[in-house]
Amino acid sequence: MLDPTSLPEIELPGSPFEGDTSRPAQSFWNESWERLRANRIGVAAGVLILILALIAIAAPIFSLVLTHFDPTRQHLIDNFRPPGHPYLLGTDELGRDTLTRLIYGGRVTLGVASLTVVLSLTLGTTVGLLAGYYGRWLDDLLMRIVDVFLAIPAIFLFILMSILFRPNAFTLAAIIASVGWGGVARLVRGEVLSVKQRDFILATRSVGAKDLRLIVRHLLPNVLPILIVAASLGVGQIILIEAALDFLGLGIQPPTPSWGNMLTNAESYFFHSGWLVVFPGVTIFITVLASNLFGNAVRDAFDPRLK
Amino acid sequence: MTTPLLDVQDLRTVFDTKEGTVKAVDGVSFQLEAGETLGIVGESGCGKSVTALSIMRLQRPGRIVSGKVQLKGRDITKVSDAEMREIRGQEIAMIFQDPMTSMNPVLRVGFQIEEAMAAHRRFTGQQARDRVVPMLQRVRIPAAKERIKDFPHQFSGGMRQRAMIAMGVSNEPSLLIADEPTTALDVTVQASIIELLRDISRELRAAVILITHNMALVASLCNRVIVMYAGRIVEQGPTRAIFKNPQHPYTWSLLRSMPRMDEVGKERLVSIRGVPPDLGKLPTGCKFHPRCRFKVDRCLTEEPPLAEVDPEQLARCWVLMKNVPNPEMQS
Repeated sequence: MLDPTSLPEIELPGSPFEGDTSRPAQSFWNESWERLRANRIGVAAGVLILILALIAIAAPIFSLVLTHFDPTRQHLIDNFRPPGHPYLLGTDELGRDTLTRLIYGGRVTLGVASLTVVLSLTLGTTVGLLAGYYGRWLDDLLMRIVDVFLAIPAIFLFILMSILFRPNAFTLAAIIASVGWGGVARLVRGEVLSVKQRDFILATRSVGAKDLRLIVRHLLPNVLPILIVAASLGVGQIILIEAALDFLGLGIQPPTPSWGNMLTNAESYFFHSGWLVVFPGVTIFITVLASNLFGNAVRDAFDPRLK
Repeated sequence: MTTPLLDVQDLRTVFDTKEGTVKAVDGVSFQLEAGETLGIVGESGCGKSVTALSIMRLQRPGRIVSGKVQLKGRDITKVSDAEMREIRGQEIAMIFQDPMTSMNPVLRVGFQIEEAMAAHRRFTGQQARDRVVPMLQRVRIPAAKERIKDFPHQFSGGMRQRAMIAMGVSNEPSLLIADEPTTALDVTVQASIIELLRDISRELRAAVILITHNMALVASLCNRVIVMYAGRIVEQGPTRAIFKNPQHPYTWSLLRSMPRMDEVGKERLVSIRGVPPDLGKLPTGCKFHPRCRFKVDRCLTEEPPLAEVDPEQLARCWVLMKNVPNPEMQS
């Protein structure tokens, strides 16, 4: 027989009263941030990138305190020194300290990468928002321009641009961004087309909101998650492109060190002084890997389409 | 005679589709006095919502091809987009069907209500901010002060619809269009939303257009009713008259298809055969004839005009229910 007293007490769900205010405000951003923090690999990758960035920003301090060398100063007597003391990671063919150059090279590489992301996101988002929101002929016009940019073989554009503009960090970022913004514009346009159909846009229009308000206050926050994802996934790729351009001599010019152009000469001395290839190569590898891992973690946490 | 608050004349809104032009609203005319409550009823896809959106000029991608919408004597189909924006929210506000999707999920509720006022110049920025909490209190949201910081997903459906009402009336419009405001809600909160809508429109002395397919709502709230079918008005008149003596077979069938408290057990519920016609391929003659139980030969070829059947009551029918003896027997 079933004894009613032996039944476990059933916990009744909380009062469904409408005014229950016990829950803390949990925005989309808070939730996403929590999810990101729960991803250990992602956090580790993020921290690594942060450390690299801090080292790059504080490069003069490091060269003063840690390595005691100048990135472009040649010590011809000490060329091809293997890693050891006082050249912690050895020297190159002109006796320049590899570690110091790596640290300064990080400035260039990471600086170019962030600038590129900012430029291509700004341009791509603006174009995508306008094309998606206004539609019709403006959409056609802008998207055909995007198609043209996406159809240009990137490497030829890079070579051409490098010849026309003497590459420095800013022009290089502009060059890479000129190829990257098209993808962002498409992404944003697609998202805007779907967000635009949602009722709250019509509801906002019905209270008399202007286009600018609709775009900035209502559409932009709703495409921001995918922008964050695009940005964090793009960084690794941009670092690779930048390194490749530098390696080919189309990017940052020596004597300014960058991770890519450090490899240009090193390649000739691969069997003779392997560290010249290994250290910049490994640095690029780790940075790109960390960027991609972090990008994936950000996507898992922020991308509304994955939910 | 004074000018009515809203005077819609021969409104026609079409949509361009691959299959051709679809007339979603085809020659709709009606007037609305200040403070009056008008119900627009009909099945899904009969043009109720498009009529409402056309009044606000939010019918895109549809096009208003002809007709006048006069608000306080001014034809708002002719005003500039900038002027129309000022009218939206300030003169006419709209409450939508689904409060779940009608609020921006990434913005705080308080901000969205403030924004409705910030879009216009009736209130200064500070006034708008100060009015948010009282507005929410006015729509009876408990602990309004704390809840303005919430995001829409933290509100229940009923609360969101209250917040939407707060947003709609925040600029004190003279006309409130409620497009099926309770359809998406739990039955238990429907009544409270309707009550709120009635109270707040009375307080503001605002006229209300209530779009619904719930005849009971119309009976409890509206002074007058418009019944729409296939983009046209098929019957129009005072609520009492329509409920007591429906003249159009469609209205009659709508009323027979729902249970009524005042006629318990007298009649069986009757469903309306078939589905509303495809607006792209409308039948000839009376648009309702393929589903009509009382049709005569003339209905197949000639469309009836919207004619007076009683003072104040109009119907678009050749037969009229008063001429049908024992309609129950024929069904």
